[in-house]
Amino acid sequence: MDVASPLLPATPQAEEIARLFYVDLVIAGVIFVVVAGLVATVIIRNRKRSPDDLPVQNFGSETLEWTWTIIPVMIVTGLFVYTMKVMHEVDPKPVGREADVEIIAHQWWWEVHYHPSGAVTANEIHLPVGRDLLFQVRSADVIHDFWVPALGQKVDAIPNHPNYAWYDVDKPGTYLGTCAEFCGAEHAWMRIRVIAQPVPAFGFWVEEQLLDARPPTGSAAKAGAALFAKHTCMNCHSIRGTPANGDIGPDLTHLASRQTLAAGVFRNTPENLMKWVSDPQKYKPGSHMPTMDLRRQSFENIVAYLEELK
Amino acid sequence: MNGGTHRPTGPETIWDVPEYRGLLSWVTSVDHKQIGIMYLLAAGSFFLVGLFEALLMRTQLIRPENNWLSPETYNQIFTMHGTTMIFLVIVPSLLGFSMYFVPLMIGARDVAFPRLNAFGFWITVLGGLLLYFSFWAGGAPAAGWFAYTPLSEKAYSYSTGQDYWALALLAIGVGTVAAAINIIVTVVTLRVPGMTMRRLPLFVWMTFVNAFLIILAMPALNASLVMLLADRDLNALFFEPQAGASELLWQNYFWFFGHPEVYIMILPGFGMISEVIPVFSRKTIYGYGFMALSTVAIAFLSFGVWVHHMFATGLGFPIYYIFAGASMLIAVPTGVKIFNWIATMWGGNIQFSTAMLFATAFIVQFTVGGLTGVTFAAVPIDWQLTDTYFVVAHFHYTLFGGGLFALFAAIYYWFPKMTGRMLSEKLGKAHFWLILIGFNTTFFVMHPLGLLGMPRRVFTYPDLPYLGLLNEVSTIGAYILATSILVFIVNVVYSLRQGRLAGANPWKGWTLEWIANSPPAVENFAFVPPVRSRRPLWDLEHPDDPDWKHEGGA
Amino acid sequence: MSSALTEKNKLAILLFLVSEAVFFVLLIVAYVTYHLRQGNGPTASNSLNIVKTGVFSAFLFASSYTVWRAGLSFQAGNRSWKALAWLAVTIAFGLIFLVGQGLEYSDLIRHHVTISRDLFGTTFFTLTGFHGLHVSVGLIMLTVVLWIAGRSGMRKPKPAAVEVVSYYWHFVDAVWVFIFGVVYLWAFVG
Repeated sequence: MDVASPLLPATPQAEEIARLFYVDLVIAGVIFVVVAGLVATVIIRNRKRSPDDLPVQNFGSETLEWTWTIIPVMIVTGLFVYTMKVMHEVDPKPVGREADVEIIAHQWWWEVHYHPSGAVTANEIHLPVGRDLLFQVRSADVIHDFWVPALGQKVDAIPNHPNYAWYDVDKPGTYLGTCAEFCGAEHAWMRIRVIAQPVPAFGFWVEEQLLDARPPTGSAAKAGAALFAKHTCMNCHSIRGTPANGDIGPDLTHLASRQTLAAGVFRNTPENLMKWVSDPQKYKPGSHMPTMDLRRQSFENIVAYLEELK
Repeated sequence: MNGGTHRPTGPETIWDVPEYRGLLSWVTSVDHKQIGIMYLLAAGSFFLVGLFEALLMRTQLIRPENNWLSPETYNQIFTMHGTTMIFLVIVPSLLGFSMYFVPLMIGARDVAFPRLNAFGFWITVLGGLLLYFSFWAGGAPAAGWFAYTPLSEKAYSYSTGQDYWALALLAIGVGTVAAAINIIVTVVTLRVPGMTMRRLPLFVWMTFVNAFLIILAMPALNASLVMLLADRDLNALFFEPQAGASELLWQNYFWFFGHPEVYIMILPGFGMISEVIPVFSRKTIYGYGFMALSTVAIAFLSFGVWVHHMFATGLGFPIYYIFAGASMLIAVPTGVKIFNWIATMWGGNIQFSTAMLFATAFIVQFTVGGLTGVTFAAVPIDWQLTDTYFVVAHFHYTLFGGGLFALFAAIYYWFPKMTGRMLSEKLGKAHFWLILIGFNTTFFVMHPLGLLGMPRRVFTYPDLPYLGLLNEVSTIGAYILATSILVFIVNVVYSLRQGRLAGANPWKGWTLEWIANSPPAVENFAFVPPVRSRRPLWDLEHPDDPDWKHEGGA
Repeated sequence: MSSALTEKNKLAILLFLVSEAVFFVLLIVAYVTYHLRQGNGPTASNSLNIVKTGVFSAFLFASSYTVWRAGLSFQAGNRSWKALAWLAVTIAFGLIFLVGQGLEYSDLIRHHVTISRDLFGTTFFTLTGFHGLHVSVGLIMLTVVLWIAGRSGMRKPKPAAVEVVSYYWHFVDAVWVFIFGVVYLWAFVG
């Protein structure tokens, strides 16, 4: 499903919020119809009289004033009580428990850690269906915001200030999300993909992610691995099982197993990977990955290497 | 009519005095009417700039994954659009009307401090120039009008644009506070005898309350800006996470200013609507006392709602309780106003002049913005919808569908008083219908865009179902809206030369400004009628049934 | 003394001081917030000398009294040359306070406590710096009053003008009472 909407919930939390939204929508709708209806009535009844036709001068009525003060007070009081109830159901305190998923926002990508397995990935978050999952959201630089509408509430990612949220995904599927707090040049391309899987499939995925990178096999890939180590790639990226252990950019150990590149700019295909590796500043201007001055053959070798990182 | 009793002794209008002619007279003027008009002209010019920026944004967003504007450019433009529209368009144009009409409506010759008035205006202009100078000094600010730290710190926003932004807002802040002090002192000390606080026109009441909001809220912005500048230019650490600084200090301070600022941008608009609706319904305002008191209630509550901009920051439940409650409650006094305006129209003899059309559209559109405002006070909904296009829709319905429509109502209503000529009603109605369609097309579809997961402040968006289509509709709406502004400009230019002569009281208004000439003479009045009620001119016309027999204590 | 509600200058200065008060409240809240979460760098308690600053503060507090006396001597009916003496004393007290602040700053900077050292330095220098700036502005205004009064042989300025300046001066003093309490006494007690 490609539509990312709070009204298409995939967790009980998001469902509660959607219900609250519908209740609010109905209340707002009724009030709007009353106001617009009154205005329309006045317009129809009272226009096109002669300008000299003097209407009765009515200075007001305390009874009416109190009526349209007290009725709205009662409406908002009701809404307030219901709101607080939903708030507590959706967002109970995370006590005495380590987060299952730890999200660290960066300009402009997402670092994802799983506990207790220790799996690490980026931008694409695999989740098991039917578990109560506690997320911790933090930031490595400026303020970001983690938002996957189908999961529920958005959470600000703030340096020095970890935030928590519960998401209990109950339907398998792919859910799209995005950074929702303005965070600089490439705020728009800080997308999130959540892939909710049945527990066994998720377990299998975690197992795979925990493996070290497989060594390059083809000759191009071997050349690419050498280039990756020789140039500055490894200052920022990690590939477990190799000396590369940078932490500025996403972990690439299993890059080829991901569906997208550059936090949502591309689908992950060899052609797109070539575009991205050879000229990141063209496709994501402002991103912290520099455009390297290498020959085309070198880029092709690097791509061949990365394509093997399943 | 009052023509018989009106015997001006001095020159007919301000333009008949040589000292008030020529460009230099404007630059050196301390006359509240000239300064008021200059505020409006400056705000109008900045409005065109802000509108142009909006069109750039809408053009960029017309289709998904568009690369017409670079992200850096887009971010500068949306930052400048917000900053311009708030600080250089809405607030100064409201101040312009306040400076022009508050003295007239209370029967005064000028504001209390004419030179301070000129200072406030010119330093605001200076702020505007500083802000736009940033384009030539290495790039405009690009951290949004809210400039969240640490994004706005030097480490993440290296360009001097951010410094120009802070200096510009400091200058504007000083000017705005000066204007607010002037308004309060004018209202307190310069009312004509008989003009008690209970007889003040509602526009004056709301401008008066508004001035208190400015005095209390604006210094919070100034303090935040000073701290940001200290960080950026003296290496202080107020907002530096590495030094252990609080990441939420800026947000708390900024919104402590920012939410009252929202009401600063709307209260005088409420006042304008409260003047226009009675006159064109041929009735007195319904529930005057509740109108005035609900304004005071809004002003108080507006200082207790700022955290609703921060519901996604994880501040904790007790705080959410208080701010969600206050944010919902503030809808009540606003609702009281809506119902009083409708009650004023009810049973009236409604004259649909362009001003009245704008006022009527205001009621409906502001209701939409108010209702989505309550939606955001419901914390969990806010968790889903904050920072999406739903918010963009919400505040444009309040500030554009509300604020700007009120301003247009005021322009059509008071233009004859300020210039001596009527705006063309034919062009005015074309302007109204075009802007009504353009505005709603642009902004209504932003509600579903937010519900479809589109975040704010993005220079582009992925090609997901409906996003492209709705954005295209919105962009078309923006162009219709811009066309309507062209019609408006033509109307103003044409009417200044060719417009029908207005005379003192073309709308048969009842407040004091309508007894002065159009435009008024240098010190406004040759004659001020006795003020014994809220509608002194009504009392003159209807000596048999004057208002003061009915008003009582209400 | 005419009421602030009818005298426009007094009303204006009061409104202005309200806005100034909000400004200082925010700076003080920032100081308090960071005082509560300070690390192990310089802090108020290990960097400030309460006795020395207390002495210099006494001059500022005393200047509230002297400016009040100056105001009395400006009032219609009992205008006298004594006003000039009281004004001069006020200005001298204000200057002494500023000298004290200058000594304190140079002492701190010599010990590498600066605005960019840590959160204490940041909040302390910003808060007290802005206060010092206000004292300087007040001194300029007092000097202008003294100058005008001297030149005109006590015929000018109007009592209201003197009163407006003295309101500002009292405000600057009052702000220092809060700053002294929050920054110095708190460090000394806590």
